[in-house]
This record gives sequence, C-alpha cells and structure tokens, in this order.
Amino acid sequence: MSVVKLQQVSRAFEVGNKPIVALDKLDLTLEEGEFVVLRGASGSGKSTLLNLIGAMDNPDGGEVLIHDQALSTLSDKQKSQLRSHYIGFIFQSFNLIPVLTALENVQYPLSLQKIPDAQAKLRAAEALDQVGLADFIHRRPNQLSGGQMQRVAIARAIVTKPDIILADEPTANLDSETSIQIMDLLGELNVQTGLTFLFATHHDFVLSRASRVLELKDGKIIKDDKLRGLTSVKTKAG
Amino acid sequence: MLKLKLALLNVLRNGRRSFITLLAIQFGVISLILMGGFFASMYEGMRETVIRSQLGHIQIYSEGFNQFGSQQPEEYLISPEVLEQVVKQVEGLEQVALVTPRLNFTGLLTDGSKSLAVIVEGINPDKEALLSSAVKLTQGEDLFDEDIEGALIGEGLFNSLNVEVGASLTLMATTADGSFDARDITATGAISTGTREVDNRFVRMNLKHAQELMYTQGVTRLVVLLNDTEQTDAVMALLQAEFAAKGLALELRSWSNLADYYHEVVNLFDGIFTVVQFIVLAIVLLGIVNTMVMAVMERTPEIGTIRAMGATRFEIISLFVSEAVILGLIGSVLGVVFAILLAQGITASEIMMPTPPGSSQTYPIRIFTSPDLLLKNGLFGLTIAVISSIYPAVKASRMVITQALRFA
Ligand SMILES: Nc1ncnc2c1ncn2[C@@H]1O[C@H](COP(=O)(O)OP(=O)(O)O)[C@@H](O)[C@H]1O
Ligand SMILES: [Mg+2]
Repeated sequence: MSVVKLQQVSRAFEVGNKPIVALDKLDLTLEEGEFVVLRGASGSGKSTLLNLIGAMDNPDGGEVLIHDQALSTLSDKQKSQLRSHYIGFIFQSFNLIPVLTALENVQYPLSLQKIPDAQAKLRAAEALDQVGLADFIHRRPNQLSGGQMQRVAIARAIVTKPDIILADEPTANLDSETSIQIMDLLGELNVQTGLTFLFATHHDFVLSRASRVLELKDGKIIKDDKLRGLTSVKTKAG
Repeated sequence: MLKLKLALLNVLRNGRRSFITLLAIQFGVISLILMGGFFASMYEGMRETVIRSQLGHIQIYSEGFNQFGSQQPEEYLISPEVLEQVVKQVEGLEQVALVTPRLNFTGLLTDGSKSLAVIVEGINPDKEALLSSAVKLTQGEDLFDEDIEGALIGEGLFNSLNVEVGASLTLMATTADGSFDARDITATGAISTGTREVDNRFVRMNLKHAQELMYTQGVTRLVVLLNDTEQTDAVMALLQAEFAAKGLALELRSWSNLADYYHEVVNLFDGIFTVVQFIVLAIVLLGIVNTMVMAVMERTPEIGTIRAMGATRFEIISLFVSEAVILGLIGSVLGVVFAILLAQGITASEIMMPTPPGSSQTYPIRIFTSPDLLLKNGLFGLTIAVISSIYPAVKASRMVITQALRFA
C-alpha cells in the first residue's frame, strides 16, 4: 500500500513579484518500507516537497494524499493530528527543545498524543536505547555532541511509530564520519522496523542504505532509481 | 505534566525577562492593594467618625418624622411613655452598646452683641459621652448631667462668637406649642465633630434644659450605638419586626441611610480607584505584552518544531498562556506578600495624612489589607498576566510552520 501519493503537485513562491516554481506538476508514490533518498542541488525543491508531504504547506495545484487521505480536505487541526500520528520529522539543525532533557524531548510528541507520562517515559527511553543513547537520557541538548543531538531527534521522530519519516538534510550540520553513522542508524531502523524514510540530501554519498533514489532538479523529478527490493515488510507493532 | 514542566522551564529560561514581567505584575498588585487598603481605612475612619460623633448606628423616630418632621418637628416627637418602653426593649439586645435620647431643634444663639442661627441638640451628657467618642473637646470642659445650663459649642461657632469658656449666652427657640422662649446657657467648652460644617452651627446642651426651653417632655430621636457596625442591618431588621409586633408607630434609620456625605465621598473615591485600576492595568499590560512578544519571536523555530510534531494551534496558545499563568501566580503572590509588608510598615510609621475634604480632624495614614482586597487584587495580577499573554500566544499559534522552521 502506498504511504504517500502526489498527483500533479505544484508549488510556486513569489519573490519580488516574480514567481519561482519550486515544484512543477510532480507525480510521486512512496511505498511502505521504502528508504527513499531524495537528491538535488540546493534550491531544487527538496524541502518544499518534504513540507508538502508533511502537511505543513499547501500546494498551489494538485493533491497530496497520505494513506489515500487528501490533505486539501483536512482542517489545520486535522493536519496537526495527522502529523502527530503518521509523520516524523528530522531536521538539519536537530531542533531539540533546549530546556528539556533528551528523555523529555523524546517524550514530548507522545505527550501531544495525550499518552500518560509514565508510559511515554518508558517508550521514550526505549527509543533512545534504539538510537544508542541509553546512557545520555538525562542530558540537555547543550550537553550533547551534534551527532548525539541528531540521534535524540531521530528517537523523537520514531517514538510515535509514524508511517513515514521525513528527514531534511539531517547530516548537513555533521562531519562526514558522524554523517555516515547517522545514515547507518537510519538504514538499520528502516530494516528493523520497516519504517518508511524520505531522506533529502544534496550530497552524493548516501546511497548504501537506499532502496530508491530520486533526483530533483528545478522542481521536477529527473531520475527515479529503485535499487533493491523492499528491505522489509511492515513490522510495526500493534 | 510534561507540558506544564515545559511551561515552567520556559519561564525560568530567560530569567531577566521573567523578572521584568514579575516586577510589572507586582507593581500592579502592590499599588492597587496599597491604594485600595488606604481607601478602605479612610472609609472606615469616616464611617466610624460619623457614627460616633453624630449618627450612632441606628436612629429611632416617631412615624412620619423623616417625611414631615422638618416642617413640624414638634408634631413628631417620641412621647415619654413610648421612650421608656423602647429604651428598655433596645437595651435588652446583646448587640446594643447603649441607647440615648436627643431633642433637636433650631434656635438663635446670642452673646449680647451678635445672634447666630444654630442647630441645637439636647442630650443626655453621660450616655452621649460614651456614644460620641469621636467628638473631640477642643477647649474647656465636657458636659455633665449636673450642669443643667451647660452647653458645648461647635468649634467654628465658638470661634465666631468670640467668647471665653464659661461665658453666658442666650438661646432662643420656637417652643413646641409655637410660642417663643429663651434660656441662658453656659459655654462649658468647644467641640469638634469631625465635620466642619456641623462645627460651625452646632450646640449641645442638657436634654432636661432643652426640654424646658421647648416646653416638651418628648424627644426627637433615640440614638442606638451597637458593639459592631457590621451588625447594623441585622439589628435594624430585628427592631423593625419587634416594633411592628408591639404596634409602636416608630420608624428606623441606619447610619448608612443618614450618611449622605459619607456615601458621596465613597462613590467619588471608588470612581477614582476604578480609573487608577485601568491606568495600572494599561501600564502592566503594555509592559508584559512587550516582553511576551519578544519571547515568542525568540522561540520561533521551537514553535515551528512543536507544530511539526503535531501540536495544534490551541496547544501552542495553551503553552504560552500556561507560562503566563505561572508568571501571574508567582507575581501575584509576591505582590500580595510585599503589599502586606508595605502596608504594615506604612501603618506602623504613623505618617499623618492631610485633612480629608470637609473634615476638621486628621488621622495617621493606615492601610487595611483585608483578605477580600488581597484576593481581589491577587486575582487581578493573575488576570492581567493571562490577558497579556493572549495576543502573543495567538501570534505564536498563527505562525506559518515552514517559515517558523526556517529560523532554526
Ligand atoms: N518560503 C519561500 N519563499 C520564497 N521562496 C521560497 C520559499 N521556500 C522555497 N523557496 C524557493 O523555492 C525553491 C526551492 O526551495 P527548497 O525547496 O528550499 O529547495 P532545497 O530544499 O532543495 O534547497 C528555491 O528557489 C527557494 O528559493
Ligand atoms: Mg532544503
């Protein structure tokens, strides 16, 4: 079953009275369990695409469907709930809440789902264990390295067991060694949990774990390579 | 719980800004409590002065006196028989401190060279001394039952007559049967009731002497002093019922019914207080809204992140409003505590207040911090904080998520 479907999606921005087409009548379907790498130069429209799939932005034309649900039909509140339950975000600058500990940062999206504290804490600790941070759960972001912060952010994205994780250049602020570790981690999570990943990057070296590589240029998909079969079937608990 | 913890941590995170906000809330709470407490003490002072110098708590008249008595006071006197019965009955109540009769009339006071229109009150000097504790003797000696001819002269009147203590004066009046008579009185002293207008025209003399002058055995009114001003309404109702049951044609007035001037001053000052409240509200509001908007702007990327994680607009609003509630609670509690301390300090230092308008006595400044006042203004502080947070919170909730995230 497809997790995400885009039909003729366009998005343009007005910059000084001149329209800039960020996405141009894009068609795309993402299947469950895929690890999709989205490549493209800076300004090619990667973030715009992720924002549209993440129900944070609205297309000027076409339709985005998550689990066959057309986003254009949803209210702001419904989109929030959709993000809360089905979508996980990983950002370039980690975007942790500075006053909260690693554990609390990971717990936070669960508290937005009104899951009781005790249960949320357990699940958050579990997720932090999965990303190899069991020993750092009580640290604040400023007591963690960049790689560790991004691991916390990954734990935060997977803790709600979403259907798709949207990662917008998550390694852009990390050195190459750490970047490789992070990508390995995401790949492992994809294999272990069957989570669907859409991973945007402007680097070339992220291919090892990818099941599919998309290349974006000037708002159009110019390449769509399926590298291997799906790495796993859905193993989501529940 | 985590949401609440986040709100609390956010309050602590920018100490300087939270401190300024707390200061603004405290400023509002403290200034309103001090002002309200000062007004309350002033009201109480005025009230007790007027009760204990002129009005008592309750006055009892013959039926019709208040409507027609000013034209024909002699027609609406309480007869000696009724007087005796009522005094016994009223004195029997445990809330009552004392009951004393008064005979009021107008007259002309002459010192031989000059005649002045005066308001005369025939009193029972021993009882009146207890009731009129706020009447101050400014010269000479107090009046006693034995001084049949003695009289106390209002301070202003005393000065304008230009006489000495012990001087003999002549008081003329229209008697109960409509003729004209005069009696000699001796000025034993000068008094101040606290109200300058009264002091300019007021004479107090022995009731018996006054009754002789007026050719009557009756009195105009009975003045009742209670142990506690709070009991006025209850005792009024009680007496009303008892008089009705006994078929006594009497009517009652409370101090509040009679103290027009007191009510005018209270209304005026309440109005001033309301205006000040709005000014304080505006000052505090502007101060807090500004710092809260700054907090929102500073946390733009965080707001975007939380929204991306699925927080609804309402949840963003509630995050910022809870921060305001925390600040409001802390600020109000601190404000109330400091206000109590300041009020006690100011009261203890006994600074003399300028003479209130129309008053002839001065008091030290006192500030009453009644639980009611503290609660009201504590809540006021909390409310200001919450109201101030609404605009910034809504602003935060309406941020475009993708744009908010670009500031990360
Ligand atoms: N909010 C915006 N306002 C104006 N132009 C924008 C906005 N977001 C994106 N763009 C433009 O759209 C194009 C695609 O941007 P983006 O999706 O961020 O690319 P990428 O993430 O691949 O670098 C760029 O030309 C960018 O300048
Ligand atoms: Mg981008």
